[in-house]
This record gives sequence, structure tokens and C-alpha cells, in this order.
Amino acid sequence: MIAAGYALLALAAMGFGYRLLAGPSLTDRVVGLDGLLIVGVSAVVLRAMQTGEGAFLPAAVVVTLVGFVGTAVVARFIEGRGR
Amino acid sequence: MGQALALAGTLLTLLAAVGVVRFTDALSRMHALTKASTVGLVLVLLGGALTVDHPNDKTSLLLAGALQLLTMPVAANLMSRATYQARGIPSTVDTIDELTGHLDASRDDGG
Repeated sequence: MIAAGYALLALAAMGFGYRLLAGPSLTDRVVGLDGLLIVGVSAVVLRAMQTGEGAFLPAAVVVTLVGFVGTAVVARFIEGRGR
Repeated sequence: MGQALALAGTLLTLLAAVGVVRFTDALSRMHALTKASTVGLVLVLLGGALTVDHPNDKTSLLLAGALQLLTMPVAANLMSRATYQARGIPSTVDTIDELTGHLDASRDDGG
């Protein structure tokens, strides 16, 4: 079941990665990057479920917060500016 | 139980990715990511919290889920507002557009 979860996450990462590379606007790239962060956090959690080893779980909290700060900063950057 | 929740969460994340790839403009792609993947990630975190044994790990997972639920709507609001106001990013609102009236009003106030 966890292996199936990894497979779904890999497919999702390909979709988000395509959007990150293809753009076309800065918003789309932020969307792709946000999606990749979510895939990463999910993968960390699945790994912890698989091994029962929780050493990486605080990283999930940190990535969540850093992702929010990054999105907010880019939003301020886009405002009133072209693409 | 926990594993089934996590699998459902990854499925929702995949659906969000499909929406992000296939939708046609920036705002609808943001919509797909924000709704589907927030729920997806929270389901994965809940499944993890049900599965892991140590209380520290459970706390980390629940904290990450709570922070995600708090910050994701705020970030999406900031991003979509900036996208709407930015020149050069095509964005259409099909149904009711309440933001334009607000922006015009605040401009008339000199704000």
C-alpha cells in the first residue's frame, strides 16, 4: 500500500515538475514548486510510516513553514509587476 | 486504516497534479493545487499520525497538518490576488468578480 503511495507521488511530482519548467507565468512556477514541496513532505511521511523511524518528521514541519514564507514573498514580488 | 488514509491522500495529490497540468489559466491551476493538495497532504499526515508509535512523531505530524491548514489558504489568497493585479498574466474570472469593484473603490479613495 505504501509502495502504491510512492508511485502516485512520483506521477504527481512529474506533473508539478512539468508545470514548474513550462510556466508560462511566475504564478505557474510557484504552483509547481508548491506542489513539489507537498510531494516531498508526503514522501517523508510515507517513509516514516514504512520504517517506523521518525527522525525526519520535524523536517516536514519546517518544509511546510518555509513553503508558506516563500509563496508569500513571491506574491509580494509579483504584485503590480508584469510576468 | 492509517495506510488507507495515506493512500487516499497521495491519490488526491495526484489529482491536483493532473489539474495543474491540464487546466488552462493560472488562476484555475492555483485552484486545483490549493484545494486538492491541501486535503491530500492533511490526509497523508493524519494517516501517518495513526500509524507511527512514538508520541513525538505523532506531535510533529499533527503540527505539520495544523500549520498546513492555517497557511495554505493565506498563501493562496496572497498569490491569487497578486496574480489578478499583475499585468501580463492572463487570468479570467468567469462568474462573479467582486475584487475589481473593491480595487476601484480603494483607488478612488486615493488609497
